[in-house]
Parts: sequence; structure tokens; C-alpha cells
Amino acid sequence: MGDFFDFKLVIAYFPGLLSRLHITLLLVLLATLVGIVFGTMIAFIRIYKIPFANQMATVYISFMRGTPILVQLFIIYYGLPRILLNVGVDINRWDKMFFVIMTYGLNMAAFMAETIRAAILSVPIGQSEAAYSVGMTRIQAFFRIVAPQAVLAALPSLGINMVGLLQDSSIAFSLGIIDVMGKAKVIGASTYHTLEGYTGAAIIFLVLCILLEKGCSIVERKLQSVIIGDGR
Amino acid sequence: MGFDLNFMFVAMKESIKYIPVTLLLAFVPFGVGLVLGTFIALARLYNVKVLGKLLQIYVVVIKGIPVILQILIAYYVIIQAFDGVAENLHWALRSKDIDLIYIALMALLFFGTASISEAMRGALNSVDKGQYEASYSVGMTTTMTIRRIILPQALPVAVPALCSSLIGLVKGSSLVFMISVTDLMNAALIPANTNYKYLEAYVAAAIVYWVINSIIERLFYTLEKRFSVYRGESAL
Repeated sequence: MGDFFDFKLVIAYFPGLLSRLHITLLLVLLATLVGIVFGTMIAFIRIYKIPFANQMATVYISFMRGTPILVQLFIIYYGLPRILLNVGVDINRWDKMFFVIMTYGLNMAAFMAETIRAAILSVPIGQSEAAYSVGMTRIQAFFRIVAPQAVLAALPSLGINMVGLLQDSSIAFSLGIIDVMGKAKVIGASTYHTLEGYTGAAIIFLVLCILLEKGCSIVERKLQSVIIGDGR
Repeated sequence: MGFDLNFMFVAMKESIKYIPVTLLLAFVPFGVGLVLGTFIALARLYNVKVLGKLLQIYVVVIKGIPVILQILIAYYVIIQAFDGVAENLHWALRSKDIDLIYIALMALLFFGTASISEAMRGALNSVDKGQYEASYSVGMTTTMTIRRIILPQALPVAVPALCSSLIGLVKGSSLVFMISVTDLMNAALIPANTNYKYLEAYVAAAIVYWVINSIIERLFYTLEKRFSVYRGESAL
């Protein structure tokens, strides 16, 4: 087995892998959106300590953070149709992508909820008091004063969560999604050059990960100058 | 088709038997990674020539590649390359004789070391520069400074990040099923293969993981309290 690894093949498989890149990106983006929407709701439930809902949210976050995403993926894939069947909705034939995005979105929501909660609480209470004292309503104070500062505080963690999500997205292929990882597996199964396919996928993930980190820090800097400005 | 609670307990019993495998897969990389990771963090902190840069590349690469890919790549490298190497060195060992759990351990060790080194580096950076200067000024050597002054202050800061590294390892260990190592999750699935009650099996595995991770979280919380003795008002 002298030629067990051929770097030329890695390059040869690259276009094939890149042709499925949009699935990975779509997965990450949609799941992030779902995560931010649900995460914000959970964060508010926890901040205002709404009875019962608060306890449920704590258990939910603990479960999502304490179990592997692989297990969550299959629980939602097998479990969600059964639950919805009880209320008369049949989603058994829905695209697998839907279940994957739901899982990653719900998982992301648990992580985002903690991030958003910490970010909102990190804004000093004096900021809201100052806003009230100049006659703003509660909603005005939140959207004009607290939220912009909280967004800035949440950005670094959002970046870290997104990188984690990108890495987790590589497990979606176990449900049969043909993303970059799935394509690498297909290549491996059809050509027996498994290692080359996976190496190509590893390079793609590495580059995506570095780009995402760089992108986040650029957005962070841009937003900082937009929201805070230079004091004038 | 209702939820078969009895079968869930059957699957849970199976998976509980394999908790030691999961713990082995998580704690061995964590223990070894803690030592290696601390050295990596120190090497990067002190900007050791060449080595510091190399280790930085190592951490970036490992952190950028999903664990599942690391496990699969390690598996195929060893399965495909080992026989050739063994033949050249006249070993009797062949790749099919290697217990796959060692491959999983190795891959998780690479992953764990990188994340632990990041946790330690963050903690070491949080120690004030004046602490180094002060201990040098009383004549301590670099080793003494690190061991007596810096690490005791850095550890409590590192504890939460170390906790999430360990939980990451426990969760990551569920991926070894891809190279057919029987761990907690795989064990729960085995009885489900005959009756297709996969949902029950996955829920059982989820509960076991949840309990393990909750215990780890508690443990580290206590540890953080214990370590914090070294800093704060009590010193005065």
C-alpha cells in the first residue's frame, strides 16, 4: 500500500466537494437564524423569570448543552413526526433537511439564549434609568439604548457559536444529507479513496472556519464604530 | 405508534453498561490533554521560537476541523498505512488487530489537547503581568514562578473553560460509532436494531449523557469554589 494517499486526488475531488458547499452554508445560516429567534425568546423568558416557562427553559438549555448533537438529531428526526402526528400533522415525508435545520436551530437556540441573556444583563442598569429619565418609554429605552449595546456584547459569542455550529454541521451526513461531508463519504464509497475525500472536506472546513472567525471580527469592528462611534 | 417506555429502560440498561467506555474516551484525552495543553499554552505564552508558531498552527488546524473528520481521517490513515509500516519494520501486529478504541482515543486526544490549550492560554493571559515581575523580583526562577505563582491563579479562571472542554469530549465521544466502537450510544442502539424502536434508544442515550454531563458540571462548580480559595480577600 505505497500509494495509499495521493494528493492529486484531493485536488481532483475538490470541485465535487465544493459543489455541495451551499448545503453546508444554507444549514449554518438558517440554523443561526432559527437559533437567534428562539434564543432571544428563551433569553427574555429567563430574564423576566416568567414562572414555569423559566424552569422549562432552564431544563431545555441544560438538555441541549448536555447531550451530543448526534443524539438530538435522531431524536428530532424520529420524534418530531410522532409528536406532530398526535395533533394531526403528518410531516413524515418532509425533506430531511427540515429536520436537520430544526435540530441545529434548536441546539443553537440553547447556546444563543445564554449568550443573549448575558449580553442584555451586561448593560448597566444606569443606561435604562438614564433613558427613562429623559422621557423614553420602556420599549424605546430597550430598542434605542439597551439593545445596541447588548448586540455588541453578544457578537463575539455569536461568532464562537457559529463556528461550533459549522463544525457540528459535519454530522448531518449521518442522516443522509449530501453536504460537503456527505459528498466526501459518497466519493469514498464509489472510488475507495476515502482518505483523499475526507482530507478535502477537512481543508474546506478549516478554510470556512478561519473565514468565519475573520468575518466575525470584521463585523464586530464595523458595528462598534457604527453603534458607539468615536464619541462625537 | 406510542412511545415504548419499557423498551427505553431496556436500552438504558444496555447503555449504562457501556458508561465506562464513554468515560474512558473522555477522561483519558482530558487528563493527557491537560498536561500537553498546559505545555502548549506556556510555549505559546512565552513565544518559544519556531515551536510556538508550530503549536499555534496545530491549534488552529485542529480547532478548524470537525471532530468527526479527525476521527475518520485517523481511522483511515491507520487502517491503510499501518500494514505497510508494520511490514517494513517486521512487526507481527496488523491493522485489523488494533482495537479501534485506541484510534478513537488518539483522535479525541488531538481534539481535546487543542481545546484545553486554548482554555489554559486564556487563563494564563488573565494573570496580571505584574505577578510575573513581582516573583522574578524576589528571585524566583521561571519554573518556580509558573508553578507557585501563575498556575494557582490561572487554574480557577480556567475551570469553566476546562469544564466545557470535558463536556465537549464526552459529547464528541458519541461520534466513535462512525468507526464502530461500541460506546454508550451504540450500546443503546443495539437492542433497537431488532425492533426499530430507535427513538426510544436515542432518548435513553440522551438521558444517560445528560446525567453524566450534569454531574461533571456540578463537580467542576465545586472545584471552582475550592480553587478560588487561592485568590480574593482570604489572603489578607
